[in-house]
Amino acid sequence: MTVAEILQYVHKDAFLHRLHPFTKIVFIVVASVMCLISTNMVFLALMVLAMMAFAAYGDLLTESLRQLKLILVMSVIFILITVIVMPNGDILGYLIPPGIPFIGGLVPVTTGGLTIGVVLTLRFMVLIFAFQLFLISTQPRDLVHTMEKAGLPIDYILMFIIALRFIPTLQIEGQRIHEAQLARGFNPGTGFVGKIRSVAPIVIPLVSNALLRSSVIGLTIDMRGYRIGKRTHVRERVLATRDYAVMGVLAVAACGFIALFLAQLV
Amino acid sequence: MIELTNVSYTYPSTVQPALHRITLSLKKGRCVMVTGPSGAGKTSLCLAASGILHHEYGGKKEGSVVIDGKNVADYRSLSELARNVGVVFDDPEAQMIFTTVEEEILSALEHRGLTATVIEDRLARIMRTTYLEELKDRSPHNLSGGQKQRVALAATLALGNEILILDEPTSELDEHATKRIADILKNLKEHGKTILLIEHKFDHFRAMVDTLIVMENGTITAQGIPEEVLKDNHVRGMVVPDFSTVRKTIRNASGNEPIISVEDLTYCYGDVRALSGIRLTIRKGEFVAIVGENGSGKTTLVKHFNRLLSPTSGDVIVNGKNTKESSIAALAHDVGLVFQNPDHMFFADTVREEVAYGVRNLAIADGDAVIDATLRDAGLTDSVSLYPRWLSRGERQRLGIACVVAMQPNVIVLDEPTTGLDGYEALLVISILKKLQEKGHTIIVITHNRDIAHCADRIVTMENGRIIADTGGA
Repeated sequence: MTVAEILQYVHKDAFLHRLHPFTKIVFIVVASVMCLISTNMVFLALMVLAMMAFAAYGDLLTESLRQLKLILVMSVIFILITVIVMPNGDILGYLIPPGIPFIGGLVPVTTGGLTIGVVLTLRFMVLIFAFQLFLISTQPRDLVHTMEKAGLPIDYILMFIIALRFIPTLQIEGQRIHEAQLARGFNPGTGFVGKIRSVAPIVIPLVSNALLRSSVIGLTIDMRGYRIGKRTHVRERVLATRDYAVMGVLAVAACGFIALFLAQLV
Repeated sequence: MIELTNVSYTYPSTVQPALHRITLSLKKGRCVMVTGPSGAGKTSLCLAASGILHHEYGGKKEGSVVIDGKNVADYRSLSELARNVGVVFDDPEAQMIFTTVEEEILSALEHRGLTATVIEDRLARIMRTTYLEELKDRSPHNLSGGQKQRVALAATLALGNEILILDEPTSELDEHATKRIADILKNLKEHGKTILLIEHKFDHFRAMVDTLIVMENGTITAQGIPEEVLKDNHVRGMVVPDFSTVRKTIRNASGNEPIISVEDLTYCYGDVRALSGIRLTIRKGEFVAIVGENGSGKTTLVKHFNRLLSPTSGDVIVNGKNTKESSIAALAHDVGLVFQNPDHMFFADTVREEVAYGVRNLAIADGDAVIDATLRDAGLTDSVSLYPRWLSRGERQRLGIACVVAMQPNVIVLDEPTTGLDGYEALLVISILKKLQEKGHTIIVITHNRDIAHCADRIVTMENGRIIADTGGA
């Protein structure tokens, strides 16, 4: 069965995998702050390219690009929304051609609306790629350890890990339920009310099964003693030279960004 | 190691006790196997014997449970109990918290207060004894049912407890995977582990079981050395069922016209070739069993019969129509598919509404009468107004079949319809199918169980996406 493995750890022995989770968290923070502050389209586009380059260097390009379809759909939605609700600047054309009677010429496409849309899209892309690189290159176990060290409560960490871990399981389960209902003449429904109604045969079994499963997950966690907190440190990751090197590069990038920001270039 | 004395338990918001005056004793190094129909209280017994019931569940509790010389009430928490008892629950998927096999087992080892060297040693040994070495970097959704079950067992073994409690560890596994689990458990017993095993497949575990316990309606109805207990006819019918009574009605369908023709069917999931060059003709009124290991392509094949999957190349002709030119909804009139896990379909508030769903979708004439008749045939007349998920596994399985039968398809395809059922429940399912065949339906059953396959008129064996044998039944 083929499943889109959204945000799942991919086992490899490549550059990003060898980095300490802490280094990767620093990377996410720096990248997020930069892309949220900058409003410069060219700079943001360069950041997206940089993310691609990191992915390629870490041998994770194929995995990263798997979400491209979702990202493109979201981008179109973002741009449409900003064009519609934030008209500003010169008018480039109209979403509804002026030739059409009554409604022609409505919804002008403006430079301002378009710019904001593109900036939002690029930011969104940087964030998605950065988080994805982090999650698919970090073993959940290491993630737990790093978050524990950062002082987060173990219950919340486990909640986060389990939420990610069960994405593919729910996808597969949803697919099976869908097939079972199709075989019973399931009708996807028409119109708004029809669509809502048709969700029940899929969502009710999915949620009921998940709830049943959650009690076993809870018992498993307790019986394995994950919540005790006391742990023998095995195969602990330590910060290596490459981690310091990467953090150095990130520091330089951050300083460069501040300089560009002060010069009002980004 | 575990002593239960007069244990009774009633779940909150129910009246009927799930366990009624249970007394049993599990001695060190011994293996006790508990069997019985679905809904008899076997899982509740697991929870009681592990102390989980006492610490995690409300409801009415009576009697005493002593684990390793100490009453469960005197254990401070589940974590403390977990130092004495390891439990493998029936859903292996829910017991994988991390994303690789090795990580799962290592994480379980880390919380036992061992030194790093001991942990590495134990990890290597457990991976070896559960045959997981080659799978160490796999993620849960890339493992088969049997592999997941072994991971759940390995992570429990990592805790290093002397007592192991396993709730139906082989229910969804084929012969090969079941044998593997049985071998591992036998080995563990030889190394001194004390085992409480809930199982239906007595044959696979015969060599290691010291005491056989039969549970029905929350009470123990038979208990003792397997040979002694099995002298009772009723118990034998449940534990080692005899399907020969249904086998006799074989008939020759070779003159009937074909209802499903598969011509040179090949199907690929991405790069993986799941089916190659399948040719198969099934005639009206036949009872066909499709057998083969997990992953041999059985389910993939039957999903082509109602177009849940479309051929990569080749054709599937159902009732004279090429499935490529038909829709899933239209094919639902011809082919009904009952999936392995009935819980994937239930969403209605009552049993009757559940059956009515498909009938309404296909606008079956005289729907109410059809629904009543189907529920009667499935032996569910007394449960019509119950919530489907409250039924026992055996009843849910029959409800799953009823949901599809009520849609009156010519062909009824069932994927492992006897999973998790005892001998009598399985026999009931098979006799329902035989009756449907007599009414003129064509029946196709996917099964791991050789005995059940022999109830069919014809057995099709699959391996690696091909049909390797096609023979008459019995």
